[in-house]
Amino acid sequence: MSYLTLSKITKQFGDTVVVDDFTLEIAKGEFVSFLGPSGCGKTTTLRMVAGFEIPTSGKIILDGADITDKAPNQRNVGMIFQSYALFPNMTVAQNIGFGLNVRKEAKETIKQRVDEMIALINLEKHANKYPYQLSGGQQQRVSLARALAIHPQVLLLDEPLSALDAKIRVSLRSEIRAIQKKLGITAIFVTHDQEEALSISDRIVVMNAGLMEQVGTPFEIYNFPQTQFVANFVGSLNTAKAEVSDPATGLLNVDGIQFITATDIKSRKKGDAIRVSIRPERFSFADNQKKDNVLDCTVENITFLGSVVRIQVKIGEAKFNMDTFNNPFLELPKIGSKEQVTCSKEAVLVLDE
Amino acid sequence: MNLMSRIRRIPFWSWVWFLLGALYFLLPLYATLNFSLRMERDVIGFKAYIRAFEDPDFLKTFLYSNMLALLTIIASIILIVPTAYWIRLRLPEARRIVEFITLLPFVVPAIILVFGLIRIYSSPVNIPFTEIRILQPLTTFEVGTDILIIAGYVVLGLPYMYRSVDTGMRTVDVRTLTEAAQSLGASWFTIIVRIILPNIRAALLSGALLTFAIVVGEVTLASFLGVPAFGPYLFLLGQHRAYEPAALSFASFLLTWLAMGLLQLVSGEQGQAAGAH
Ligand SMILES: Nc1ncnc2c1ncn2[C@@H]1O[C@H](COP(=O)(O)OP(=O)(O)O)[C@@H](O)[C@H]1O
Ligand SMILES: [Mg+2]
Repeated sequence: MSYLTLSKITKQFGDTVVVDDFTLEIAKGEFVSFLGPSGCGKTTTLRMVAGFEIPTSGKIILDGADITDKAPNQRNVGMIFQSYALFPNMTVAQNIGFGLNVRKEAKETIKQRVDEMIALINLEKHANKYPYQLSGGQQQRVSLARALAIHPQVLLLDEPLSALDAKIRVSLRSEIRAIQKKLGITAIFVTHDQEEALSISDRIVVMNAGLMEQVGTPFEIYNFPQTQFVANFVGSLNTAKAEVSDPATGLLNVDGIQFITATDIKSRKKGDAIRVSIRPERFSFADNQKKDNVLDCTVENITFLGSVVRIQVKIGEAKFNMDTFNNPFLELPKIGSKEQVTCSKEAVLVLDE
Repeated sequence: MNLMSRIRRIPFWSWVWFLLGALYFLLPLYATLNFSLRMERDVIGFKAYIRAFEDPDFLKTFLYSNMLALLTIIASIILIVPTAYWIRLRLPEARRIVEFITLLPFVVPAIILVFGLIRIYSSPVNIPFTEIRILQPLTTFEVGTDILIIAGYVVLGLPYMYRSVDTGMRTVDVRTLTEAAQSLGASWFTIIVRIILPNIRAALLSGALLTFAIVVGEVTLASFLGVPAFGPYLFLLGQHRAYEPAALSFASFLLTWLAMGLLQLVSGEQGQAAGAH
């Protein structure tokens, strides 16, 4: 049962279509991320849910009510901004209480709720401080508490972690996720960081140039990308030009080397120019087990990335990256040496452009 | 770094120019003070001050001008804050034209402004092409004249007030704060009164003080509209007396300095607190 429905949403600014035919159903308590490069329309879509922009066409239904044209202050929606947007003239407690204050709640109710929220974000010691006296991470937690204090129906987060440094970003993102789960609140989280989206979401909407590319769980998005764009944007990826050799059996030719793919390419004809995509971690050095693709290669380069070692190999004329997990007993090949790598036919993806 | 070592680091010539500038400013002030204390032959005393303050017209005109200043400031804030806010939020393309309008008082002298006001508002205002009167001639009754002069003062103070408010709004992220407040359920009125105004307090205060200074000393509008204001009173006093105007000038200097000190205090504090407290 859908709790928040965006139905055929289109948004134009002048003649430019910024969001195009966006349809999405979000269940109650679900955590959905909008993922895509800068300028693809994530913020605009979120702002339409918040009421700061009105869709050119389409409908937004929240808990059975059409809120498409409702003013932002008439919706019950919590919003978190990248820049925190705390009121500089108010203390932490006053900031958190603002929404209830505006709603003319009783003093006692407000105080109780504010205390509850401050405990939720672990800032008991800072209740009477002003925003400028807090670190970025603390300020964003206050802003989270402020948005949650009004019991919003949906929580909207627009790149809330982008202004923070790496360590805080990771810890705050799990804190946000934990709080969201604990309260069972429905949330939309906008980010351009694929790792963030993969780690925090129930579902991810990958967007590109105003269009939805793919909707799915992080597992689906990563392992079964439906389009070239999704595969490229999420995780790292090898791509190479190829030619169809035999559509029936999935035989491909990459610069003179035969590959076999599990992707259904029966709709293509022999000789069609296509592109193959293979994730670096799907390659491994050949052992004696039988694999679908066993390929002769030359080791070109080796890069140490900490937990992962990235080895660049040349197969025929095409270059591929191959990732293996690091361990202290790893025996790495020499640069320039001839080796054999393998990968399964499921790893060889042929994606729609 | 302490103050002494900071002072020592300032180069010699800077000191010379600074002292020359200070002399240029302080000498006339000293002369005025000195003169104002010599009303009685051969004695230094405050007789001129006592005389000036004792005059019932002094208090009456001074209070009247203060009231005008206060009302002008309130009217300016009501007019300018929402305007500047709206321009920042929704109409950035209107900024240039509004800035130009606010600068008009520098181009159009007060004497022209006052004649324009008198010409238009000394006859009744009718709905165009009818005989239906919607406004009595404002110059014919006291409240009407007060409204007229306050409107004129709002115009004169416009360049200072608008600039101050606009600068104040530049230092806070007006748009995002507005959206945050809206999503929490706040109305436009609540946002302006509880978010925008408190965060541009220092800017408002500086605009208000400048407006105050203009209004209290203003002569042209006040004398042509014939109101009992402090400016014309001081002007008249200057023509008939010698010592009292000097005393009042010096007193008003002190007042201005006090106000500026106050301003420094508040804006300094706000600078540190980024708008808090
Ligand atoms: N108010 C606006 N007027 C005109 N164009 C806009 C406006 N807001 C956003 N855009 C344009 O819409 C596109 C999508 O913007 P946005 O939703 O902010 O992208 P994202 O959040 O994914 O980076 C951008 O090209 C941006 O320039
Ligand atoms: Mg954005």
